[in-house]
Amino acid sequence: MAEVKAVEKVKEPLFGRAEKKLLTDPLNDNNPITVQVLGVCSALAVTSLVYPSVVMAIAVTLVTGFSSLFTSMLRTYIPSQVRMIVQLVIVAFLVTLVEMALKYFNYPIYKQLSVYIGLIITNCIVMGRLEAFAMANKPWRSFLDGLGNGIGYGAILVMVGVVREIFGKGTLFAGSPIELKFIGNTSAYMINTTDSVLFGWYANNNLMVLPAAAMFIIGIMIWIQRSYNTKLVDVS
Amino acid sequence: MDKNSTNYVLLFVLMMTVVVALVLTGVRQGTESKALENEAIFNKRAVLAAVNDYLGMGEGVTANDLADEKVLEIFDSRVKQITLNTAGEVVEGVLAEKIDMAKEKKKDMADRVLPLFQYENEGETFYILSVRGNGLWDEIWGNIALESDINTIAGASFDHKGETPGLGAEIKDNPTFPGNFSGKKIFRDGEFVSVVVRKGGAQDTTYEVDGISGATVTADGVTKMLHDGISLYLPYLNQARQNSKMESLLIDQH
Amino acid sequence: MGEFINIFIKSAFIENMVLAYFLGMCSYLAVSKSVNTAFGLGLAVIFVLGVTMPINWVINEYLLSENGLFGMDLTFLRFILFIAVIASMVQLVEMVVEKFSPALYSALGIFLPLITVNCAILGGSLFMVSREYNLSQSVAFGLGGGFGWFLAIIAIAAIREKIRYSNIPPALRGLGMAFILTGLMGIAFMSLMGIDPAVFTGK
Repeated sequence: MAEVKAVEKVKEPLFGRAEKKLLTDPLNDNNPITVQVLGVCSALAVTSLVYPSVVMAIAVTLVTGFSSLFTSMLRTYIPSQVRMIVQLVIVAFLVTLVEMALKYFNYPIYKQLSVYIGLIITNCIVMGRLEAFAMANKPWRSFLDGLGNGIGYGAILVMVGVVREIFGKGTLFAGSPIELKFIGNTSAYMINTTDSVLFGWYANNNLMVLPAAAMFIIGIMIWIQRSYNTKLVDVS
Repeated sequence: MDKNSTNYVLLFVLMMTVVVALVLTGVRQGTESKALENEAIFNKRAVLAAVNDYLGMGEGVTANDLADEKVLEIFDSRVKQITLNTAGEVVEGVLAEKIDMAKEKKKDMADRVLPLFQYENEGETFYILSVRGNGLWDEIWGNIALESDINTIAGASFDHKGETPGLGAEIKDNPTFPGNFSGKKIFRDGEFVSVVVRKGGAQDTTYEVDGISGATVTADGVTKMLHDGISLYLPYLNQARQNSKMESLLIDQH
Repeated sequence: MGEFINIFIKSAFIENMVLAYFLGMCSYLAVSKSVNTAFGLGLAVIFVLGVTMPINWVINEYLLSENGLFGMDLTFLRFILFIAVIASMVQLVEMVVEKFSPALYSALGIFLPLITVNCAILGGSLFMVSREYNLSQSVAFGLGGGFGWFLAIIAIAAIREKIRYSNIPPALRGLGMAFILTGLMGIAFMSLMGIDPAVFTGK
């Protein structure tokens, strides 16, 4: 890896304007979820709480980044007939590593994410970036592109998670060491408890915890984004 | 070599498979023992969560707040693991924490073994039973702690594989639900009645707890799981109740 | 047989891959602009799910599990093998269809590679493992899940065709509306939750 970087450095700046664009573009103009519509599945399943969303976002960013890097490094050696399978094996390999790492470092969150870790493999962002970018670009740039898309994806994931957790559960970062609790009214319960801390007048909205709520939130996010960024509006 | 020749493709795939398999096997060798240890801590923490109110670690400290080492320490020093069969006899050679409830659930009643954790806190003994059943989507399981009278519930903890977040998943996510089990009783006049999760709110405050609105099937699953699960322990529990009655009689006579 | 139908109905309607688990959303949202293309993709998904599920079951049971061929726990290779099976099955299906039915190929052809990265396919296999289905149950789950996915994409495509000329705020047109519609459909499908098809099939 170090070798590759060194070679790149001679030819062009390591982190010039083009490289910066690779990282920031996916945050808005080319966001994987709201513009490219890739990788929505896990966005819905894990975002009912912020903490798993953050873990998922980091995992996906690492997988997109490194799979882009590896694919790009191998791109001239990969036979075209088995291109898809080779890419998938690279991704599956990285995801298996992520799974082992989670089991090693944070078992409870591994339990919580369960099958959705495996589903990172079919997260279309990963394959989409490999096909669209990494197969035709140099390793360092592909790595940045992968990271950028992972971060753009993660940003949406965490935003959806924040909205769902605050309005659905009245907590933030529940399950992590820095859990915040500011709404105590547990409406899911038949008999409301009175141990409200702040905002006791607000009954936690159970709809927000349901996976369908993520659809609404992303829909509304797209609405807001396109109101500002009119070039994205669907004309058809 | 020609990049599109069959030989090249085969060679490439073969090399890739070997490299990937080797690296993964290596990483797994390095991480497996820690992963298994983590799993054991995870399960022990769930057992201790059933006696959240009696951890003796200060006000409001639950099993979730304990450090990993503390969980292991409590388990080593204050928990006695007993393995039972469904006839209420103690089975030797199987450690209670190693029992896989999911596998036991599939066996015939007569062949099952049951874990029983005897937890000591400030001289009082608690009996923690493990139960497993079905919720709406998938399996649910839990641990029930009984006080030393083997009748009053001291606490409970539940978990699930795939209940709906916000509805059925509240059995785990909402601490009020397991909390409501504290103080309920499972025997009425010496007869086993278990505890019922009642839709629309508990009516009989001794034997019923409030249901969760919108999660009737999961709640019924909990009711059935408790009834069937504790039933398996009955031979042992009844015997232990007899013994403790005898003891108290003896003490009275002195 | 009763159990087979039971799982089929359950996975098609009650535990619908798209509307209850929100799996396979990428292609679901991208290819649901018209009913015709949605129909083709839906058929392809049913087919691939129905074929890969039993194959992955056999692999999981006889190669990866502790009492399998190698006699050791190789479940950590599950992801790689499952996805390789799915990718090669899709490629195989593509070749077979191309050879024997050019008409079907021209209808399905472009969707087939998309299916490899459809989370519903891998998700199905992973759910099958975590729910510990046996062989016939996994076939039922595969076909039922595929059928449910097919229904869902046809439904959203039909709605999207209908609302094409509706007066929706421009920024919400297309994708944004598709998200919100899917959310509403998901909530509607929640009313089926808890129904036990065993009541109808007598098992």
